[in-house]
Amino acid sequence: MRTPLTLLLVFVMAFTSGACGRGGSAITVVIAEYSKDHTKPFWQGLAEQYTKQTGTKVDLRFIDWNSIDQQVSTMIQANQPPDVLNLNSFSSYAKDRLLYSADEVLSPKTKDDFIEAFARGGRYQGTLYGFPILSSARAFFYNQDLFARAGIAAPPKTWDEFLDAATKIQKLGGGAIGYALPLGPEEAQAEWSIWMWNGGGDWKSGEQWAINSDANVATLSFLSDLANRHKVTQVNPGKTNRTDGAFQLFKDGKVGMVMGFSPFAKELDAEKKVRYGVAAMPTRGSSAVTLGVEDYLMGFKKKDNQDAVKKFLDLYYQPENITKWITAEGFLPVTKSGLTQMSANEKLRPYLDALPNARLAPTTDPAWDKVKLDVQQNIGRAVQPDGKPRQVLDELQKNAVASGGR
Amino acid sequence: MVYPAIVLVRTSLARYSITGRHQGWVGLGNYARLLGQEALPTVVSNTIVWVLTIVAVTLVLSLGLAQLLNARFPGRNVVRWTLIVPWAASLIVTSKLFVWIYDYYFGILNGALVGLGVLGGPVDWLGNDRTVMSAMIAVGVFDSLPFTTYVLLAGLATIPNDVHEAARVDGASPWRAYRSVTLPLLKPALLVATALNVIYVFNSFPIVWTLNDRNPGFAHDTMITYMYKIAFRSGLRDVGLAAAVGVVNVALILVAVAAYLRTVNWRDAEA
Repeated sequence: MRTPLTLLLVFVMAFTSGACGRGGSAITVVIAEYSKDHTKPFWQGLAEQYTKQTGTKVDLRFIDWNSIDQQVSTMIQANQPPDVLNLNSFSSYAKDRLLYSADEVLSPKTKDDFIEAFARGGRYQGTLYGFPILSSARAFFYNQDLFARAGIAAPPKTWDEFLDAATKIQKLGGGAIGYALPLGPEEAQAEWSIWMWNGGGDWKSGEQWAINSDANVATLSFLSDLANRHKVTQVNPGKTNRTDGAFQLFKDGKVGMVMGFSPFAKELDAEKKVRYGVAAMPTRGSSAVTLGVEDYLMGFKKKDNQDAVKKFLDLYYQPENITKWITAEGFLPVTKSGLTQMSANEKLRPYLDALPNARLAPTTDPAWDKVKLDVQQNIGRAVQPDGKPRQVLDELQKNAVASGGR
Repeated sequence: MVYPAIVLVRTSLARYSITGRHQGWVGLGNYARLLGQEALPTVVSNTIVWVLTIVAVTLVLSLGLAQLLNARFPGRNVVRWTLIVPWAASLIVTSKLFVWIYDYYFGILNGALVGLGVLGGPVDWLGNDRTVMSAMIAVGVFDSLPFTTYVLLAGLATIPNDVHEAARVDGASPWRAYRSVTLPLLKPALLVATALNVIYVFNSFPIVWTLNDRNPGFAHDTMITYMYKIAFRSGLRDVGLAAAVGVVNVALILVAVAAYLRTVNWRDAEA
């Protein structure tokens, strides 16, 4: 038993001394890798600027999206949270009281510059903990060549027009697919959100989860019918991911319609293989709703790091810095000043126009972090040939209600 | 080596919030909850099929390959080197490659089989519940072949030439000589190859993770990917429960290998 005990002691000492030795001289900043080309250069530049101004070193870590949840969870289990973290969720951390509030680490000028919808999406129980870092909005992409060949004059505005367009494209034959529907685990919650809202449903009704509402059952049945009755989607939409599934098919010119976002447009423009148009979502309601997504920056409460964290955040939120990065990555602004600067960009117009009507997923509820994963892992089952939309939604609802209590 | 094991066991006895914060000790509560998981029987039976099929098919193919590579023929060295490639390549890269080979729309497998008239139309190998496990097992075999073949090849090299000669002088047919002379003398190498393969295949993560990433739920997971999904990729999002799966995994593999070595009389084979 001697060896493990000694080892344990060494570990404990390593952890504690690490924490002490840090005090003010360096901060750890964890950034998710949005792209190979732009993420690293920008943040390295920012870190250098920060060190020059404050004398505090930055331990900068870039983590890919596939493993970031795991790595951050390990850091917190080991009692070594980063000082600044960039992630797509924040409320669980706020709930565990790990984070600084906006009043503690943002200057008033920065705080007031956030677009209200995104500030609202970063609040936990009324206090801003998740600082918007960038945003994106989905839009409806259609293949202009396929539309022309199928004799469709304009992108569909209603679900009836949508089904009609999808059917006409599918009938072209030769491998043409009406609509690429990705309900596999990668991003199913996003695809589902858009359809759900445009079908008149929502995640919640008031403060209560309403995942299995009648409107949502009808919407999911509509999607299931697209796949199984009308057969206007790619094969097995419940088992197709977004990036290497639906997007790949659209890039290859096989697909008439798909839900995309601005970075996808960037890729299409670079490849120049498909002539595409961008439009608002087809809807059952009176006006089209799209999904807005914001990612967050968070400051972790640690001994003696408040000032260093504050200076770092303030540096990022300098209008020239934040806008430079968001533009490079092809995302959308989260600040009013950024919106003004970027609105001149014609390419971004459809997304910027969609932003005011964009709805966010209920990220302010800590239960969402589990609900999202549950939806990703299960909603695809509903659109299989033997799928049961109501049953799948009932289970999701049951689990959502249960995770609210934990 | 010991510290991670201690941490794993300790983690399995506690409850954690979704962020990774320790929320108190729960004794064996995580193990009790694991037994109540609806997906557990499916995952266990997937794991058994996954391990047994890959190890068995790999051994049979490797016996043939090793025999072939043991024979002298021109270009033998080239073939021997080629065989290492799947083993030397990163498993993730191999898996991604097979994702494209199997692809419904772009994959060369469908292209070839439809072109040859074997199939009437393309098959969604990784999306069809009936084919996905076999598709993953094929990749598992592909990846286990080099190592196993080399272990058996080393075993063949230790068999002295005079035993083969003695068998020939006694008038044994080649097949008879293989069964009665070569195979018994290969037993130590076969045991090592089997035991190591069982551990290796059981613990294999990238193949199942990559080829199965499009499928919802736990229908095609093995214990290893199940553990990871429980911790980070499912609505459970539960590190304590996942650690309990981890402890069970280690125990399972120890018991399986011990039982195997016992039934085949490891010591006799060595003597």
